[in-house]
Amino acid sequence: MKKLIIATLMVAVVALGAMAQKTTLNFFYYIDATQAGYAEDQAMWQKFKDANPDIDLQMEMLFSQAYHEKLSSYIAAGQLPDVIYMWPGARDSSKLLHDNKLMYDLSKVLDKDLLSKFTVAALNPKAQASNQLSELPQAYTYCGVAYVNRKLLADNGIAMPKTYADLKAMVLKLRAKNVQTVALPDGDSWPAQSCLMSTMVGRYLGDAWVDNVKAGKVKFTDKDFVNVLTQYKKLYDDGIINVTNVQMGYGEGPALFASGKAAIIIDGDWRVGAYLTDKTTGKALIDPKNQDDYELVNLPAFPGEKFPGTAAATAGCGLGITKTLTGAKLEAAKKLLAYYYGKDFQTMKWETGAFVPTRTDLTTDKLEPLGVKLPKFYAANSKTTYVLDSVLDPSVFNVLNAGLQSIPLGGDTPAGVAAKMQAAQDKLLKK
Amino acid sequence: MSNTAIDKERSFGTSLVGKIAAIVGKIVAYAVMGAFAFMAVFPILWLIMNSFKSNQDYQLDKIGWPKEWFPINYAGAWQIGDFGILLPNSVFYTVVGTAGVVLISTLAGFAFAKLKSRASVPMYGSFVIGVMLSLSSLMIPLFLQLSQLDLLLGNLWTSMGLMTDPRAFHLFYNTRFGVILVYIGSGLPLAIYMITEYIRGIPTSLVEAARIDGASYWKIFARIILPMCMPIITTVAIITLPGIWNEFALINIIVGKLDLQSLPLGILRFSGSRSADYGKQFAALVIGLAPMLIFYIAFQKQITKGVSGGAVKG
Amino acid sequence: MASVRSGTRREDHKAFWAFSLPAFILYLFVFGFPIVLSAVISLSNYKGGQMFGGEPWAITGFKQYGLLFSDPAFWLALKNNIYIVLISVFGQLPLGFVFAYLIYRKVVKFGEFWQGILYVPAIISVIVLGIMWKFIFASNGLLADLFNYGNTSKLVAALNLALNSGTTLNDEGIRHILKAMDPNVVGLLGSDPVAGFKEQLLPGGSLAIGDPAAFVNAMKNYAPKWTPEFMTKQDTAMIPIMFVTLWCWTGMYVILFNANMQKIDSEVIEAARIDGATEMQTARHIVLPALSGILINAAILCIAGSMNQFALIWAMTEGGPMNVTEVLSIYMYRTATIGQNYPLSNAIAMVIIVISFLLIGLTKLAQKRLGGQE
Repeated sequence: MKKLIIATLMVAVVALGAMAQKTTLNFFYYIDATQAGYAEDQAMWQKFKDANPDIDLQMEMLFSQAYHEKLSSYIAAGQLPDVIYMWPGARDSSKLLHDNKLMYDLSKVLDKDLLSKFTVAALNPKAQASNQLSELPQAYTYCGVAYVNRKLLADNGIAMPKTYADLKAMVLKLRAKNVQTVALPDGDSWPAQSCLMSTMVGRYLGDAWVDNVKAGKVKFTDKDFVNVLTQYKKLYDDGIINVTNVQMGYGEGPALFASGKAAIIIDGDWRVGAYLTDKTTGKALIDPKNQDDYELVNLPAFPGEKFPGTAAATAGCGLGITKTLTGAKLEAAKKLLAYYYGKDFQTMKWETGAFVPTRTDLTTDKLEPLGVKLPKFYAANSKTTYVLDSVLDPSVFNVLNAGLQSIPLGGDTPAGVAAKMQAAQDKLLKK
Repeated sequence: MSNTAIDKERSFGTSLVGKIAAIVGKIVAYAVMGAFAFMAVFPILWLIMNSFKSNQDYQLDKIGWPKEWFPINYAGAWQIGDFGILLPNSVFYTVVGTAGVVLISTLAGFAFAKLKSRASVPMYGSFVIGVMLSLSSLMIPLFLQLSQLDLLLGNLWTSMGLMTDPRAFHLFYNTRFGVILVYIGSGLPLAIYMITEYIRGIPTSLVEAARIDGASYWKIFARIILPMCMPIITTVAIITLPGIWNEFALINIIVGKLDLQSLPLGILRFSGSRSADYGKQFAALVIGLAPMLIFYIAFQKQITKGVSGGAVKG
Repeated sequence: MASVRSGTRREDHKAFWAFSLPAFILYLFVFGFPIVLSAVISLSNYKGGQMFGGEPWAITGFKQYGLLFSDPAFWLALKNNIYIVLISVFGQLPLGFVFAYLIYRKVVKFGEFWQGILYVPAIISVIVLGIMWKFIFASNGLLADLFNYGNTSKLVAALNLALNSGTTLNDEGIRHILKAMDPNVVGLLGSDPVAGFKEQLLPGGSLAIGDPAAFVNAMKNYAPKWTPEFMTKQDTAMIPIMFVTLWCWTGMYVILFNANMQKIDSEVIEAARIDGATEMQTARHIVLPALSGILINAAILCIAGSMNQFALIWAMTEGGPMNVTEVLSIYMYRTATIGQNYPLSNAIAMVIIVISFLLIGLTKLAQKRLGGQE
């Protein structure tokens, strides 16, 4: 009798826990409910679910820190999701995925016809930390873009700034009107590094130098690098960037810029979406009829820069398939990726200002003026340079992030930060 | 305290200076309590007011009265936050969780208070110790335990040929069952402490009389103990309920699927560092806050009595 | 505590186990086992991934604890936790007692209303509190607006003072104005700020101001911009958090204490009042001793809650900026999720538990000592 009870219990437990007949696909996705284009994005996924009744799509949607922490937990528990939205570099949680080659090489898994529709840069395996196509970059992201309020400058008799000196000359005049010259909300600690420092390093030192520091041939403590940090500090000392930015949340930026409280804001190209029209309320931070008052330009020329005109850019994020998938699950995952990278989905992303796709055969006439400026910006700035958190190890760029916050606050010096960075790099080189 | 000292204080108390001091004291008291109360209510009012502003209006004017009203924020927030899924989940977790705590701890309370066993003292003692612990410190090991247990069992069933993919087995991690287990468990120590103390106050003679009459313990529990415990049960329920409803740290780590998430997790999604839509964010928060407020206003009297009911023994 | 005498021994025992087992098993599952697991992992080199059947891992000893005690982040987190404990035990409890006493003795009217309102923070989700907090303390938040308004007013006052003696500025006036201006802006005026002021900020470089009102208007935005710098520094960053903690939970103690005060025999109080005792005396010599047991229990709950504090601080600052507001539970969470270091994380969990018990033990000890004095 007892044995029968135990057996029944076991079967019941198995039944409780085991999955249903459908192929379940665990999709770990990165999106914020308050982002532009969220509703459209969700609608597209609903279409996929409706069109594929044999796939039980379980989406887990997270954003920012929460996303990275959850993915780290999954990796720790040995419970990787099946399809993962990931970064090309060793950024936070994606690091483990690359280092341990936990994902499929998509160039071998995805349909050749599909792959042929993407730019060469997107398909470059060297752009990813695992040196293979662990994810298919949906965009090529420019991290250092200066959004300029052209009209505000013109109203104050100021010309578009082309050099550092131009910026410095604007400060007093703009400040009299309570307008910041350049805004860079760095409360989340990564914007200063991704959007500003990366371009500065590219302008002063170039990619080869960064390769060398990773190989141990040069050091962060060399005066060349310390000089870049000093130049960064000058931006604050000269009043170009106000110290209040250091503790401002990243989410405060668009409002600040759109309300005319800052003449220029340095941000990534993905930020365009924040200014476009919200479909549910019909309101936009920058009304489409005013969007031509604004301009997207490269960061100005810095004094003593060696590589003028470069801009920090990196292969964008994309979806990857976990290497343990086989059979029905793998087919389902491939279907999902084909759908995501298909014309409809990518065009929607373009139109809602999420990113400019690397897929080459898309057209649209639905773009708001600000969105049209992006491809023009890309075309005008083809010389790209590394984004630091794509190529440096987290233990190093996290130190840089913290340092870029403490330098303006007086908590640390350029030399001090450089020393800490080198210490972290040395630890890596020893291994 | 010597008489002269008391005399001194007494004379101070009735003198004019003393009287003025008393009045000033009253004013200060009202002022401080008023400040606290204001700080308690102001955020809620501010939140509700701003939930009707559009994103742009809010950013231009964070404190003022809305110039245009956008009740559509609520519809938008509800849809985007998938509150249609999350709200029933929260209700489920809260109701089942609270009921579970009440039932299991009352059963245990009866055992510790009225039934003899050598294990009684150490067992009860372990619960008392548990009152001083909080699952916040045990989040990580708990997560590991749940997920590894699933993996272990999954491997077991796979090796027995009952399943094909060991990682597809989910009984504890990422399941409703797991969440309920954790929520009930977390509420047990305090509930058992309070209920046991309370039941100890019930005269044992009642129970003994029933036993002599031949009643089983189950009957005694159901017919005598349970009805008499209603006050303390209400107390426990009132303390446990908001706790589970607002809880987000534990469930965040135990659950991944959207279908299983609770309301606080949905609200958390709006608090992204890239919030571009404050209007909807606030609407989402008000939606999350409303049930608790209604609950509180409706049961205010019981709640006031409830927290004090925890003061059975000094 | 009398237990039932009649009935067979066996039946008694069976009943005891039947009633208590569900609770106990669940308790072991949710608390007991994780604690043991935590202790084991803290002594091992477990790296994440499958525990059984995955990569092998083993017990390696107390290495983690050594690392922990030499990590400044640990001591900072511990210090922050102590701050919370202090504000809780020496803030919430006394304040709660005072309010409860005032309500009990009807020094303030509408006692039930106050009790109700003061308890509201405890039922609001901490997420709401977090958002409000950010709104108030952010760089461009409410507090900043207030300070900036103050700074601007000061500058306007300095400007008006300088223009007082007519509409012509002199060097001394300019110096006063410079003092009230943003140091960053002053720095832009060159090595001789007064000269720089004349050169760059005066219309046409002239010391005679044609339109004083316009001038003041043009200059007032050069006032210093306040930044909540105190929030990036250790210790000072904890102040707003301590404040919110105080406000959040005091209400619960008000209700708790008030209810216990109701149990005091009112005749004793009346007698004292007739004898001419003041409120302060009544509070000190009658009510306080009567509540001593409850106070100790409340202190214990307070300490336990403070050591385990996670949600509120997480919602407000996530332990930042730059980890200055981190408490032990957040530190533990961070080492596990971002640092991926499970042994260290569990070592922290163990330390939290041990410290909680130590503090509670101290409290009980204090109780024995103080109780003796009565």
